[in-house]
Amino acid sequence: MEANETHDVVVIGGGPAGLAAALGARRAGAGKVLLVERDRTLGGILNQCVHDGFGLFLYNEAISGPEYAERLIDDVVREPIKVETGAMVLDITPDRVLRINSRSGYRLVRAGAVVLAMGCRERTREMIEIPGTRSAGVFTAGSAQNLVNLQNLRIGNEAVILGSGDIGLIMARRLVFEGVAVKGVFEILSWASGLERNVRQCLMDFGIPLELRSTVVEIRGRDRVESVVVAKVDDKLMPIPGSESVIPCDTLLLSVGLIPENELSKRAGVALSPFTGGAVVDERFMTSVSGVFSCGNVLHIHDVADWASFEGFAAGESAARYAAGERPAGATVRITAGPNVKYALPQLVTAGTAGVEWNFRVGRPLRNVQVVVKGKATEKVYARKKFGRLLPTELQKIKVRPAVEEDLEVSCHE
Amino acid sequence: MSDCPVLDRLTCVLCPVGCELQVRKDESGELDVQGNQCDKGLPFAVEEILHPKRNLATSIPVRGTASKMVSVRLSGPVPREMIFPILAEIARLRPEAPVRRGQVLIADVLGTGVDVIATRTVV
Repeated sequence: MEANETHDVVVIGGGPAGLAAALGARRAGAGKVLLVERDRTLGGILNQCVHDGFGLFLYNEAISGPEYAERLIDDVVREPIKVETGAMVLDITPDRVLRINSRSGYRLVRAGAVVLAMGCRERTREMIEIPGTRSAGVFTAGSAQNLVNLQNLRIGNEAVILGSGDIGLIMARRLVFEGVAVKGVFEILSWASGLERNVRQCLMDFGIPLELRSTVVEIRGRDRVESVVVAKVDDKLMPIPGSESVIPCDTLLLSVGLIPENELSKRAGVALSPFTGGAVVDERFMTSVSGVFSCGNVLHIHDVADWASFEGFAAGESAARYAAGERPAGATVRITAGPNVKYALPQLVTAGTAGVEWNFRVGRPLRNVQVVVKGKATEKVYARKKFGRLLPTELQKIKVRPAVEEDLEVSCHE
Repeated sequence: MSDCPVLDRLTCVLCPVGCELQVRKDESGELDVQGNQCDKGLPFAVEEILHPKRNLATSIPVRGTASKMVSVRLSGPVPREMIFPILAEIARLRPEAPVRRGQVLIADVLGTGVDVIATRTVV
């Protein structure tokens, strides 16, 4: 395809990962960097996350989402990075030609390297198949956050929250601040999906009950939600007959998981992991398509924006080096998730690489845990780390100092 | 020391690690904290037991814009019981554009010694 313009690195998405990726690309020497954002402003979901707790790792202080975004944006606009908001990437070819639709029209852009940083989407009522009427008043927690914080709208008077993801917990407190009665948070698992600190400061502080092992089994109401039916669930997560109770409310918020938004990645032929929902990457965050990199929530779901940004910096730097012609040599070794581990990332590593840091997540809450990274062929222990407690909600890291020469497995032992 | 009964178990809210803290009172009446992974844990636990403090965040409309909102927070934590009185003060604010990130919108709100600050630039 004949491209209208050429850039060394094109970053898709202007949230915490994409902003950092554009900066990382510049730091590693990329001359022409293009940052494409679908929304009218940069910052992504950070703009609606008005609560504090961002920046503890990147800036060493607790700031709000908008402040965190603005600091990164300030750094981006100081660089000769071409920023295009209100623009959508429609397609990427495997040889990195992007079809972009923007305010100035449709064009083709050739990229030396591409960084995918499109973030994620919330799971909806339809995806978890809650029976009942199709009445108004059912929101995902993030869309409720947008309506309340950015559009000054009152979304209801009495709310029930299904799922205990962080945005749901944050929104429970936010609704209390707005004078909405929050009747309770219902979580199907036996542990909260959000961070412990949010359970304490968003629910316990305001006396909002957290009901574990329970779920919403029916939504009632003709035009607007009038009540929801909740029930306890058994070990197979099936509702227990006879345990139902009816909770009058006009609003149901869903905080039932996030899914990396990889429609564009799939069109480019990027191989995805069934465990993360994001791309399979190597230690440089390169996907199965040469020259296409991935970072942030489109790669795997993070609990802290700072880590998405750190990943962005790294992916942007790798992309710049790729655009400059650098190609790593050697075969790739594979790392897999062993007992009690949901996934480990990166999934592939260039043989002989030393000092790789792995992200991993456990499948269930564990106490007094030993995390072990072991060679699959030799049983050699490459790294070992102890944790007092590990929760599925927390993304953890383990560093492997020696050079990796064989397939590895990460496992957790209580 | 660890023979003394646990007074409270609490989760540190200062960062995403969320350490599980166990607070005990020893024979001399001093509070002892276990489970913290950093030195912020002890003062947090003592304060959390005696007089918990929190920050708060909300957003308010900005005059002179096409219905844009500015997000705000406090410059530091306040006693938890001050949250709703401060929210009522913030709800009365109608700042005029432009508002700058870090701009003080209410100084020393309700005599708490902390300020209400804008967390976003709105022009």
